[in-house]
Amino acid sequence: MRFLGMFRFTVGETIRRGTLIFYFGIATIIIILFALGIGHSTTDPDIVTIFGSPFAHISQPGANIIEFLLLQLHSLSIFWIILFGIFGVAGLIPGMLEKGTIDLFLSKPLARSELLMARALGAVSGIAINLIYFFLGIWLIFGVKLGVWHWGFLSSVVYVVYAFVCFFSVVTIVGLITRSTGFSIMLAFAFSIISWGLELRENGLYRLWDNVVYHRLLDALYYLTPQLNAMLENSSRVIGKNPFIPSPAEFTYMPYLYSFFSTSLLYGLSVWYFSRQDY
Amino acid sequence: MEALQTVDLTKHYRSGLFKRKNIIALEKVSLSIEQGEIFGLLGPNGAGKTTFVKLLLSITHPTSGTATVLGHPLGQRALKEQCGYLPESHRYPGFLTAVDTMIFFGRLNGLEEKKLKDKAHFLLEMVGLKGWSKVKTKKFSKGMLQRLGLAQALVNNPKLLFLDEPTDGVDPIGRKEIRDLLIRLKGEGTTIFLNSHLLSEIEMICDRVAILNKGKVVRTGTISELTTQKLTYIIQLSAPVSDDLRVRLNQSNFSLDFKDTSLFVTLRDKSELNSIIDTLRASGIGIESMTQQKTSLENYFIQLMKGENER
Ligand SMILES: Nc1ncnc2c1ncn2[C@@H]1O[C@H](COP(=O)(O)OP(=O)(O)OP(=O)(O)O)[C@@H](O)[C@H]1O
Ligand SMILES: [Mg+2]
Repeated sequence: MRFLGMFRFTVGETIRRGTLIFYFGIATIIIILFALGIGHSTTDPDIVTIFGSPFAHISQPGANIIEFLLLQLHSLSIFWIILFGIFGVAGLIPGMLEKGTIDLFLSKPLARSELLMARALGAVSGIAINLIYFFLGIWLIFGVKLGVWHWGFLSSVVYVVYAFVCFFSVVTIVGLITRSTGFSIMLAFAFSIISWGLELRENGLYRLWDNVVYHRLLDALYYLTPQLNAMLENSSRVIGKNPFIPSPAEFTYMPYLYSFFSTSLLYGLSVWYFSRQDY
Repeated sequence: MEALQTVDLTKHYRSGLFKRKNIIALEKVSLSIEQGEIFGLLGPNGAGKTTFVKLLLSITHPTSGTATVLGHPLGQRALKEQCGYLPESHRYPGFLTAVDTMIFFGRLNGLEEKKLKDKAHFLLEMVGLKGWSKVKTKKFSKGMLQRLGLAQALVNNPKLLFLDEPTDGVDPIGRKEIRDLLIRLKGEGTTIFLNSHLLSEIEMICDRVAILNKGKVVRTGTISELTTQKLTYIIQLSAPVSDDLRVRLNQSNFSLDFKDTSLFVTLRDKSELNSIIDTLRASGIGIESMTQQKTSLENYFIQLMKGENER
């Protein structure tokens, strides 16, 4: 009841935040554009048209253009969760810690761990609602108008949301320690770049300094933090193979598994830190 | 059973780079508050009043010392379930209406969903926000937010209510309403713990007070214990004192002051009172009345702080 109260409140707060309304708006516009524009050619039902002009052949061998289109929409959503997601919800943890707000929350019979987890879950759910709305919308349009019910595309949202849950653990601990929205946003961005750098460390960061300790340190950092980049990349592989990439990699569960541990660790540390603080 | 009891409650804040700076906010505070009383905690800015309440509600953790609130040790959920708190600074999510704010805090208290709405309206009316329940709180004035804060603190029918400057920013009529409300709550058996700078207000409603200075309790007592100046008396006489008698009385060591038929005396010892009266009676002057002089809590507080700071 208490947990649920805090959770519902937080979801409401994320939805009311301007950036997420903006996100919702853009998602809606894209869905409407596809709903109006995409269709079959009247002469050949196998030809997909966009606003009347032929776009591609459904059964084009080797290069499934519809899948290509869905992959593009998927990467757009990833760009959004990093950008709007951070702007939309990075302030939720520091906002809760503001003088006057935290006093009220902590005076209620709600354990600090419950409070923090309700808050984090609420924030993630706010983003999840937006993502599911977008994926479901696009999926329905493609199904209804083209007869392509692409389950891979629909299920990929689960992996994207999971990645965001992991990502938010970093936002949470940074927010708790810095108590500042600005810092949280900056460090969240920095992390999304670092995650990419760590993923490709063998061809990049390793070369900066040829030192075993430094290399193992990078490895440790890679495994101790959520593997955001790897998770997002893998989420697109559920949809299909990009026809324009020579030898695309196969989907793997490993980054999700590793991130499960590092995320649990970060949320655990966050609860521990939050419980010890004076407000 | 005491509503609240603390033993040597101490809080040192660590701040600054690498937490090297030590700020003593509270030092061995031992207080005990009976159920059903209105207790006032006074003290200058930074004395540690807010810290004291925050420790009891586990918003801040004590450095040392122990406390029980309504029989529960600090940090227990049952403790918070039975307490209400109006913090010194409190902010409400501006996107919620007053009623929704109340319902939200009711939920955090674990109250039953069904009864929440009626309860919210009832309390908002009680604090004088009847017409404002459907208005978003971002449109509220300071005094209105203060009233909302009070309503919020009452949502779980607390047995013990902590109020940190409850009338801050409230207009005089509102203050009177809040005072009346507190007295009514006391009548219903609620224990009230009040932090305030408004000494006249404390004087009007508190049964007992403690005075805190630099983290230490310097006085506790009932209002009349603190404001009664034990050895200053005003004696009303039946006739003015003659010059001759005046000289004789002035020979004694106590300080005297005359004004028509009134005599003001400040004694060092209570027994001296009898000798004054004997002298007066022997000169044929009757005693019409005799009262102990009282000072205001404000005067007492200012005098006390002066003394404390000189030490
Ligand atoms: N979070 C904190 N970190 C460091 N020092 C603190 C913190 N909170 C309070 N203090 C210090 O503790 C002391 C007591 O502060 P407190 O807020 O309890 O005073 P107060 O009696 O409520 O004052 P006021 O009348 O101004 O409300 C002050 O010296 C203050 O600077
Ligand atoms: Mg204070």
